Amino acid sequence: MFSTLFELLFTTPIVPAAFGGVAWGILGGALPGISPSITMALLLPFTYGMDPTPALVMLASTYVGAEYGGSIPAILIRTPGTNAAAATVVDGYAMKLQGKAGEALGISLYSGFIGGLFGLIVLVLLTERLSSVALAFTPAAYAALGVLGLSIIASLSRESLVKGLMAGVLGLMISTIGTDPVTGLNRFTFDSPELLSGIPPILVMVGLYAISELFVQSGEPGWEHVPREKARIKFPNPAMWKRLAIPQLIGSVIGTIEGVMPGGGGTVSSFLAYNEARRWSKHKEEFGHGSPEGVAAPEAANNTVACTALIPMLSLGIPSSNSSAVLLGGFLIHGLVPGPLLFVQHSEVINGLYTGLFTANVAMVIVGYLMMTPCLWLVSRPKPFLMAFIYALVASGVYAIENSLFHVGVALGFGVLGYAMRYFKMPFLPMVLGVVLGFMVESNYRRALVLSGGDRMTFLQDRISAGLLIVAVIFLTGSLVRHAMDHRHARS
Amino acid sequence: MNRDFALGSLMLMVAGSYYAAATLIPESQLADAVGPQGLPRSYAVVLALLSLVLIGQSRWRVHKDEDTESSHSSRALWRVGGMLLIGVLYIVAAPWIGYIPALAALIMVTTYYQGGLINRRVALVSVSGAVFFWLLFVVLLGIPQPAGFWPSLF
Repeated sequence: MFSTLFELLFTTPIVPAAFGGVAWGILGGALPGISPSITMALLLPFTYGMDPTPALVMLASTYVGAEYGGSIPAILIRTPGTNAAAATVVDGYAMKLQGKAGEALGISLYSGFIGGLFGLIVLVLLTERLSSVALAFTPAAYAALGVLGLSIIASLSRESLVKGLMAGVLGLMISTIGTDPVTGLNRFTFDSPELLSGIPPILVMVGLYAISELFVQSGEPGWEHVPREKARIKFPNPAMWKRLAIPQLIGSVIGTIEGVMPGGGGTVSSFLAYNEARRWSKHKEEFGHGSPEGVAAPEAANNTVACTALIPMLSLGIPSSNSSAVLLGGFLIHGLVPGPLLFVQHSEVINGLYTGLFTANVAMVIVGYLMMTPCLWLVSRPKPFLMAFIYALVASGVYAIENSLFHVGVALGFGVLGYAMRYFKMPFLPMVLGVVLGFMVESNYRRALVLSGGDRMTFLQDRISAGLLIVAVIFLTGSLVRHAMDHRHARS
Repeated sequence: MNRDFALGSLMLMVAGSYYAAATLIPESQLADAVGPQGLPRSYAVVLALLSLVLIGQSRWRVHKDEDTESSHSSRALWRVGGMLLIGVLYIVAAPWIGYIPALAALIMVTTYYQGGLINRRVALVSVSGAVFFWLLFVVLLGIPQPAGFWPSLF
């Protein structure tokens, strides 16, 4: 297998794609308010005309780069570039005040590299095992898999279960626009030829994540400027490597667990890793006052998540975080459907993605070192210019998908919807899950019924389907119980 | 009226409209047991039920923070409306005046709207930005952008 992966490095443009993606990710992550998912969503239209493997490598590498990029403003200006970098602010900025900004940035980069490699190993080991049942999947099993994917909506709706479910149903409704998968009739197209093929998930993602953020940022103040001379990266010495090993391991293990959990993601894992690193540290008193371990643990955790969050997405086709949902959009625009069959039908893409992620982690160290000056230059630009250029990028990129200004209008519409959802505190990911999984659930549910002559027991007679539905029920029940307990705690 | 009540009412209207639209989907002789209307109708019913639950919840939950946020929200809504209008004007203008002038205008107007100035420097940056995006998309990536009336002149 390793010889195949090594060969891919030289036969496909994986290396430039990985370096380009990491560079884009670092730039995006360094801009406060621009999350990894937004950075990826901005890049998504560009990948439309590329071959699938370099396109997906570029998107996944953006995720890797953005997780590191978020730590740059967190350390230098006490403003996390991404939510996941919020835990890095505590000790990273304290180190900067002590004149150790370069050391903090070096620890962040080095720990991100370690966490990323750890996550990649887990990704390779777990994903192939999960997808080994690929050929046994029937339409009933695929429908049940979609239901399992939708059941995670309950755990993604921490603030309000009802609003999360509403967002999921809205996503399912959007997925019904276009041609009916069984009869070929047009549904909700209102005689518009542009809607015949439905609303591409990419437009929903660019609108919800990128354009709505642009709208939100339009009302926010600018960020602090950074003097350039204060940012020279200094990598840790061997003595420091030894000290950082335990917090990096803690971060990597927590990142692995949180990465595969629906809704876990980099933010939760980095805070958990910070707390656990403090608990197990011999230098507890340094935490909060510039502890190197306080930078290493969260950075290792959020970079581990950049790989492990892909496990449920690749093996089951279920995105567990916003960033993996955008990467799923990248698969869909190339006609690839993540899930069990992907490993059988497009193993070359998966191998390319693994190779690309390894390259991306190496590239992060090199590009991260070289990109410090451009990042600081970018963060120091006047905010009105940055907003205007991001708007121009979105308008041009969305048009490029199918040379359609109608699509630009649809993406703007989803931007407004995303803004309204933020106002009403509705989560995005349930809607994206609904849009992405809706077609799979409906088409396979109806095909399974056609094949069984309308017998709904087919979903329980098929072993895989029954197993997945049982897991979905357990998942849903667990989430409901947790919601009820949270509610009771809040009342008491 | 609190925010959850407003959302619940809005979603109830969406569910009703969607259900009405679903009933207009024609019958097909190829239809299976569920049919093309089956799941859309179910989704509408589920959304309506969830909306009623949210409306019910909103009646007995106290929302302390909403009054203080309302004035900020109306200002923010105006800003979003302006940004949206800029995007819509780009969509309308690009097929007529072409990609580079429309994009330069979008960059310049957005910069001004975000608190920047309109002067020679901003105009230069806007035109340079539009040319940069044209080089990137059209020349480097080979992806066409709206040409406008320019090709008819030559």
